Amino acid sequence: MAGALTDEVKSAEGGFLQLHKDYLDANSLSNDLLEFNKAGIERFESLKFPHPKHEMFTFVNTREIASTEFALNPGGTCSADVVKNHVYACSEQSCLVLVDGVYQPELSDLSALAGKVELADFEKAFSDEKLKQSLVESLKKETDVFSALNAAFAKQGVFLKVLPKAQINKPIQVLLVSTGAEGKPAMSAPRFCVHIGKHAEVKIIVKTVGDGNSYFSNTVQDYFLDENSSVIFSQVQADSKESWNFSKTFVRLNQYSRFKSTHAMAGSKLTRNNYQTHLCEPGAELTMNGVSVLVDKEQVHQYIQVNHHAPNCISHQYFKNIVNDKSRASFDGTVVVDPGAQLTQSDQLINNLMLSDEAHADGKPNLMIYADDVKCAHGNTVGQIDDEQLFYLETRGLSASVAKTLLTTSFARSIIDTVEFPEVVEDLKSLLLSKLERNHA
Amino acid sequence: MLEIKDLHAGSEDTEIIKGISLTVNKGEIHAIMGPNGSGKSTLSKILAGHHEYEVSSGSVTYNGKNLLDLEPEERALEGIFLGFQYPVEIPGVNNAEFLRMAYNAKRLHKGEDEVDPLDFDEILDEKMKMVEMDHKYKARFLNEGFSGGEKKKNEILQMAILEPKLAVLDETDSGLDIDALRIVANGVNNLINENNALILITHYQRLLDYIKPDYVHVLSKGKIIKSGDKGLALELEAQGYDWLTTTTN
Repeated sequence: MAGALTDEVKSAEGGFLQLHKDYLDANSLSNDLLEFNKAGIERFESLKFPHPKHEMFTFVNTREIASTEFALNPGGTCSADVVKNHVYACSEQSCLVLVDGVYQPELSDLSALAGKVELADFEKAFSDEKLKQSLVESLKKETDVFSALNAAFAKQGVFLKVLPKAQINKPIQVLLVSTGAEGKPAMSAPRFCVHIGKHAEVKIIVKTVGDGNSYFSNTVQDYFLDENSSVIFSQVQADSKESWNFSKTFVRLNQYSRFKSTHAMAGSKLTRNNYQTHLCEPGAELTMNGVSVLVDKEQVHQYIQVNHHAPNCISHQYFKNIVNDKSRASFDGTVVVDPGAQLTQSDQLINNLMLSDEAHADGKPNLMIYADDVKCAHGNTVGQIDDEQLFYLETRGLSASVAKTLLTTSFARSIIDTVEFPEVVEDLKSLLLSKLERNHA
Repeated sequence: MLEIKDLHAGSEDTEIIKGISLTVNKGEIHAIMGPNGSGKSTLSKILAGHHEYEVSSGSVTYNGKNLLDLEPEERALEGIFLGFQYPVEIPGVNNAEFLRMAYNAKRLHKGEDEVDPLDFDEILDEKMKMVEMDHKYKARFLNEGFSGGEKKKNEILQMAILEPKLAVLDETDSGLDIDALRIVANGVNNLINENNALILITHYQRLLDYIKPDYVHVLSKGKIIKSGDKGLALELEAQGYDWLTTTTN
């Protein structure tokens, strides 16, 4: 058995290496980008495809990815209707659309951002020797093999710089569309990087959607927050049910900067998000809320590291999962408080609501504290619908199914209601809450 | 209106109600008193249809129907209201929205149209005034973080909105200070009339100073051991339950 697994892992590696050769043959890449892509595939080779007991993939079964043959995504386009359906009204003049990782200027509209941001494509960004070197260097320290794989295949992402002191009221929406391909499922490597200048304030919505059935999107997003900047962030995952979605989100917070996010997941065949956050300078504050509502065999796995490197920083994490049918959710979160990061305040809470005997929720909250004057808390609960709450509602004339829907939606709404964009809240009601109504009907 | 005949019921293998018979007619107020553990709360939950309790024998007829055949929400829609001793907290459910849902469920059952939030708000304002509840409790989550007094006022508010035919109030007086007790009792007195009935479950005679019962029953070890008028409550207050439980059992 062990031998079979090793063979599988080896063949997965071989598959991706072959795919990379095809990628190099199919694209005439600039030398700068080639250097980056090669650094990515080298890191992939040294990290190796995760074996089933890999510490970062404790709850994630990657066997299906290992045994699937992927095709290169040609970088298709999508219809204007997809954009129209998924760009929120508040972001019509401030949206960036990437299809299969390729930036689509003709589908994007940045008119509301004029004078406040600078946008660079990969070619332009990589011509900056300093930036390229820092990206290549950071790849050498990369721990997530899928992030390395993204670097190996990323070719047309975007770099967005929010200018210092910019105040942008309209949320910037990044719409990531994945299309399927004929035959083998296609892999794409969307990548974008946002640099928020000093004292700038920005709102960002990232929505991932599928315009095709079976695909593997492997995204990397980076957020660098300069001193005293602020980001209000909302992630909406609405991918095709037959897709694999892996992502790594990197957040670096400098002095007094603030990142407040909500991550709403509708799930897919396999969705796995890796959030690496670093509070690097005093006074930084991070708030991450998340909610997943899963039915059938959907899966969402959240892997989070919050690193307190400096004193006087605050981090909050509050995640909720609702799992029904045979769905699976996991939360594997670690807070690391470095020596010297005194007066850290950190809390982490995960609540799971199980609606079926065959659903699965795993939680692994970790705290690693190397400073002695800190306030840290963490907790993880798993429960079912409370019988007494149900009875109470029934005695008020609500039917059992209405009462169950009310109880489950209220569980999710306590997170959904923290989203600051009304259009997104409405979207999440139909994307997530409607799944709960369907299941008690 | 309600006829309980030789009711035996319990939870799992334990029999808690051991042969209760009780008839409640329109316009009557019955107080059920008794020491801790006598089965008072169990009786109220059985009447409301809690799934944890099973009826082993006996019958409960409500307006000619077999009450035990009905689901809890059907009982509620038919006009039975249970005021909880410990109202549960439900985070995430907005109090006003919940009250409107309950109100509309009842209207639909009666074949009437639902009311929209604006119209309901007027109804709610009027009822909240009656139980002297601050408007801030509309926007709060259902019972979450309410004080003991506010929770009980919220129960009476629900009773006012649902206008039950038969209300069973389980220790509505427990945990109330004297002002809250007066407000809650006034609310109940405003709601009862010759067309409905009330079963008051209480441990103390104090509540009966405010809401005057027509009958008082003493429950002990799952049986009604004595029934009388409100003079019985005063006797109990003066002599304690031991006087009855030791002489009767």
